[in-house]
Parts: sequence; C-alpha cells; structure tokens
Amino acid sequence: MDNINIKLSVNGRDHNVNIEPNARLLDVIRDQLGFTGTKEGCGVGECGTCTVILNGRKVNSCMVLAAQADGSKILTIEGIASDNGSLHPIQEAFIEAGAVQCGFCTPGMVLSAYELLSHNPSPSRDEVKIAISGNLCRCTGYKQIVDAVELAVGKMKERKGDKR
Amino acid sequence: MIDFDYIRPRSIVECVELLRRYEKKAKLLAGGTDLMVEFRANDKKVKDVEIIIDTAHISELKFIREEDDLIEIGAGVTFSELAESDLLRRYAPILCEAALAVGSPQIRNAGTLGGSLGTASPASDPAPPLVALDAVARIAGPCGERELPVSLLVGKSSDEPMRHDEMIVSVSFKKTSGRGGFSFLKLGRRKTLAIARMNVAVYVETDENNMAVDVRIVPGASFPSAVRVKAAERMLLGKVPDVELHSEIGKKLAEEMVKVTGRRWSTPYKEPVIAVLVSRALNEAAGVKSNG
Repeated sequence: MDNINIKLSVNGRDHNVNIEPNARLLDVIRDQLGFTGTKEGCGVGECGTCTVILNGRKVNSCMVLAAQADGSKILTIEGIASDNGSLHPIQEAFIEAGAVQCGFCTPGMVLSAYELLSHNPSPSRDEVKIAISGNLCRCTGYKQIVDAVELAVGKMKERKGDKR
Repeated sequence: MIDFDYIRPRSIVECVELLRRYEKKAKLLAGGTDLMVEFRANDKKVKDVEIIIDTAHISELKFIREEDDLIEIGAGVTFSELAESDLLRRYAPILCEAALAVGSPQIRNAGTLGGSLGTASPASDPAPPLVALDAVARIAGPCGERELPVSLLVGKSSDEPMRHDEMIVSVSFKKTSGRGGFSFLKLGRRKTLAIARMNVAVYVETDENNMAVDVRIVPGASFPSAVRVKAAERMLLGKVPDVELHSEIGKKLAEEMVKVTGRRWSTPYKEPVIAVLVSRALNEAAGVKSNG
C-alpha cells in the first residue's frame, strides 16, 4: 500500500499532505495538520463531534476517506474566528447563552450552526433543531445551544446592518 | 483499520473496467457512510478488500431528470440533494420524506442513493418508497447495461442480485398521475440518527367516485425485503378509503408478515405495530382522518 499525495485547502490555506490511502479526513486534519478542534467522539458518524464543512456542506470527517477529499475546501472550527482573533457572532452567542459546558460537542455544534446560517439567515427554532440533530451533547440538554443559535441570528443581522 | 489502495475513476466505463480487473478485491466507495464504518469494525464484508474505487467524482452519476413520463435519479445523488429536489417533491414526495429520515444532516450530505441500495439494508429508508414507485435500477457491467427492479436489489436474499463487476448507475420510475396521495412513516428509537425499526411507504389514488384505483403498500424492516404487499393492496382497490377498512388492511398485512417471517423474537412487537403503522399511512395517503 503506497502513500499518496493530496491537496487540501483548510480554512483558506492550501496544504499538500502525504497520506496513507486508508487515512480518514479526521486523522489528517488532527494529526497531520494539527487542527485538533475537530474531535473524535464515536468514529462511526453518530455523534457529530468530528463535523467539518467540506465544499460548503457539513459532514462527519470520521467517515470521509482523506483521499476522497483531495482537491477539496475544508472549514474547521479554527477557521470560524476572524484572522485578527475576534470571535464569530455564533461563538459569542454560545458563550453568552451558556451553551458551553464541557465543550466537547461545541466545535461541531458551532459548525452546524454556521452552515445553517450561511444558507438560511432566519431559521425557525425547529429548523435550528434539525440543523443540530446530527450533533450530540451530553451536558446541556440542548436548550441553551438552540437559544445560542437564535441569539447568533440576531447578532449576525445586526453586524450586517452595521456594515452598510 | 484495514489496509487498502485508492483509485479514482472519472467515468462509469473506467469504473466498470476497474471492477472487472480487481474482481472481489475491490469495493466501491460513494459517500462512505456505510463502508467506513465497516472498515473501522474490520467487518467480514470487507476483510478481503485491497482497493477502494471512489465513485464520488464520476459526474455521470450525479443527476435528477425527467424524460416524458419517467423520472431518473443518478446513483451519486446524496440524500440531501434528493430531499431538496423540486422535481422529486412534485412527483415522489415519499422519496424526499424518506431521504430526510436518513441518519443526520451530516450523513445526508455524504450518503448517496446508489450507495444505500448497494448496502441493501432490510431497514433501508429509501427502499420502500422506490418499491412503491415500482422503481427500476440501471446496472452497468462489462457486458453493457441491464435493468433490475429495486425490489430485487434490497433486503435479505440468498441470491446475489448483482455481480461483483457491476455497479448501480441510476434508478428510474414512472411518474404517478398526480391525483393520488403519498405517505411515508418511520419508527425509530429516536427522532434522528436512528435506523428504522419499521417504516412504510404508501400511495393511494382514487377516481371521481372516491374509489381506490391505484394502491401501493410497501412496509420496510418487517418483511425480509421491501415488496409491495398485494394481498393488502387488493383489499382497498375498488373501495372507498375509510379508517375502519384501513385498520383491517393493517391487520391483514401483519398477518402476511408473520406468514413470511414466522414467529420471531420481534414479532410480539412488530405484529401489532406494523398493523397500526400501515393503517396510519393509508389514512394519511387517502386523506381520511381517524378519531384516535
């Protein structure tokens, strides 16, 4: 089994990586590229802690073969905050709404919220729940997380208003 | 994790040639939502695999189109894409409902219709709607293409419906008249990220006298494979849909199920529940309201 070279664009930067053909995208992101915000909770696509945004769609990176992602654009939790380090409105909202307890589900939850709001800036509460339905949380009971996403909706509309 | 090599064909022809060349040492990869789990578990289904053939970049597999009275869906279409399709919403809403019932948003963004049919789980969510639509799969192999009813592709069967050097290219079905109603119901241990304990796809069309002229009932995760239960369908044909009749049909279907499966460990649960699930689906498809 020979190694192969792939190219991944992660959080806006290109990376050339030499990988084993059976490497998972999760392992490449964490172990080879050092983006450890993406977690492994179950390894079988049932918890969502490994969620990344791949070519605009959120997926479980534990179930993506890294070789299949060759040439793709990936967004991890590390790419959500601005370049100057200031938090994204979704991240601020999670803090303000008390939606972070142990924090293990948080990267996946934030990315699910980010993907939702990027194509639906005014979701209903039910739509928020569906958007996070692939992300398990053992601490919060989900209510604060849903509240945080609703809070983020308002923050993002405000920011958009300020920019005009 | 099992060791294997990786190869990425760009066309169906190239893919079939690779399948022929590598024989049983190759496995097709689509969304990875079943295969990656099998690899991680060192499942016996994949222990002899030496090479993965990635179908995700074959653009010929990614389409949803209509041609006259047929709708055709490429094997590479994801569950999210199925759910978002206006064409399918119009002509096969139960397929959209079933697509939305699969896994989670992350799984739906990766998992494909072809991959799901390839896995052929008896608890498949898209299978009952496809069988209710009398869908046919187009299969490509070294000798060309052939068609196979989806009802023969899915579920437990002693005969392998497809050879190792063949691949599913698309499924197609005839549009319904537009005058009938659909229902897809799924029971799982939770609302999402759940395999179906049982599901059912139903279509009911009535004429101007409100008599049923076209009835399709396909239960899933209950019979060994997803098939139309004609004995139950016949009970509604030529009659006016109503709640009591639907309840009798549900019980008849449960009887048929036990005839086929025998009394298993799950029967005390499945027998009464499939009866109710089917009658609820009939009520919904026919637009009749029950009091319960």
